[in-house]
Amino acid sequence: MDNLIYILYICMFVPLLLSLPLIHKTSRRIMVFMLIGISAALFISEVNGLLLRLMNYETLYVTTTITPVTEEIIKAIPVLIYAFVISDNREKLLSSSFALGIGFALFENTYILINSMDAVSIEWAVIRGFSTALMHGICTAAVGFGMSFVKKKKKLFYCGTFALLMLAIIYHGIFNMLVQSESLKYFGFVLPLATYIPVVINLIKKFRESRRAEKELAAAAKEKAAEAEESTAEEQTAKVEEQITNAEEQTVKAE
Amino acid sequence: MYLIANIIVCVCAIGGFVYGGAQFFQPKKALYAQMITLSLGCIAFGRIFNIVRLLTGGSLTDGFSLGFLGMIGSLMFFFSANYGTVDSIVDEGLKQYKNYRLLALAAPFMAAVMYVGLFLIDTEMLFIYQLLGAVLTVFIMLATYYHMKHMIFPDVDFGIGKCLRPYNLLGLLYAMSIFVEFYALSQDNELFTLISCIATGLIISLMIPTIVRGIKKWTT
Repeated sequence: MDNLIYILYICMFVPLLLSLPLIHKTSRRIMVFMLIGISAALFISEVNGLLLRLMNYETLYVTTTITPVTEEIIKAIPVLIYAFVISDNREKLLSSSFALGIGFALFENTYILINSMDAVSIEWAVIRGFSTALMHGICTAAVGFGMSFVKKKKKLFYCGTFALLMLAIIYHGIFNMLVQSESLKYFGFVLPLATYIPVVINLIKKFRESRRAEKELAAAAKEKAAEAEESTAEEQTAKVEEQITNAEEQTVKAE
Repeated sequence: MYLIANIIVCVCAIGGFVYGGAQFFQPKKALYAQMITLSLGCIAFGRIFNIVRLLTGGSLTDGFSLGFLGMIGSLMFFFSANYGTVDSIVDEGLKQYKNYRLLALAAPFMAAVMYVGLFLIDTEMLFIYQLLGAVLTVFIMLATYYHMKHMIFPDVDFGIGKCLRPYNLLGLLYAMSIFVEFYALSQDNELFTLISCIATGLIISLMIPTIVRGIKKWTT
């Protein structure tokens, strides 16, 4: 079937697009970036096909040297536009770019699945699910991190993002090369997880620390409020006592 | 021999990256040092790519490989660290220091001369190496300008430039050694590549300790 990739794209894109109005604001942003990732994967499949033809179908060379460059650049463009036009908030950029990478991997995995139905297995699905999806997510998130400097530190943004893009391309290239080799492919499967787990642990730690700090602040504020309440109650009783003594003095004087 | 050469640089870069990560990736630590640590990470990644390529039966002498981007990325991080974070402190743009800025151009000029001498005059060299050599030279020129500038610029106000001079010297040496390494690779000269890689490894393993010392000196 010639148009399989477009059929697949429509089948995935349209239902997700229709669900957008019903989704909460933050989740909607994530979903939009996943949709962009899916569209980027469709676009890149055309570009890669063209490059493969230009390189006389040298698949190994193209997938280990050329496609990491084209894919990372195309994935970075929507994040760059978002950072320039909408928001350069680091958390938003990280989550959005990660979602874009995941959307990209989702479409890529599905397309490969349909194209090689006879060769796939549960093992294949687990490996691709954990390795490829994470790899795309991590690479795009790394570039997204650099873009958070777009408005704060312009000097850092231009060079830092370019350098991070280089890092992402090399990481992608290493992954592609490892998973295609016979002897080292298991290292390739583990590589994204080995990168993802420390990052997630670090993020959870930071999140817990910030929550603990928030709780401590709230407790301190409560204590202060209670102290203030106590002091006002004491002041009020003192005032009442004063009034009583005044009244008593006046009655004594009157007598 | 290419494998050994890349392993040497990779081990030194990973060592520096881990040490730098432990030292600088904490809250309220200098972004400048973080960028240099990331640069070592970039070098390590580039070398890992080369190592994996060699282990999986590939070659480093068949033109462009992504390991080359490790060199470019590292130079970009060095440039970014100097230009984006420290330059405005070292150089406030006063007219009286114009000569120092001009003098700093000597480093990129030297890089350009070396490129013309080694890559362009040699007519037998493949076009792809001439092209990649030109790309590498451009990034070397960008990075070395600021390394040179921060080495020679009089540090009157803050004292940070003076403390970071040893690092900037290492930055210049690093740029030179990777240029030589790339030339050796283009000539398929394994021994020369190994020697330049040993030099590169030595330079990058000294980088983070030098930065740690420099920052300590500046803050105390």
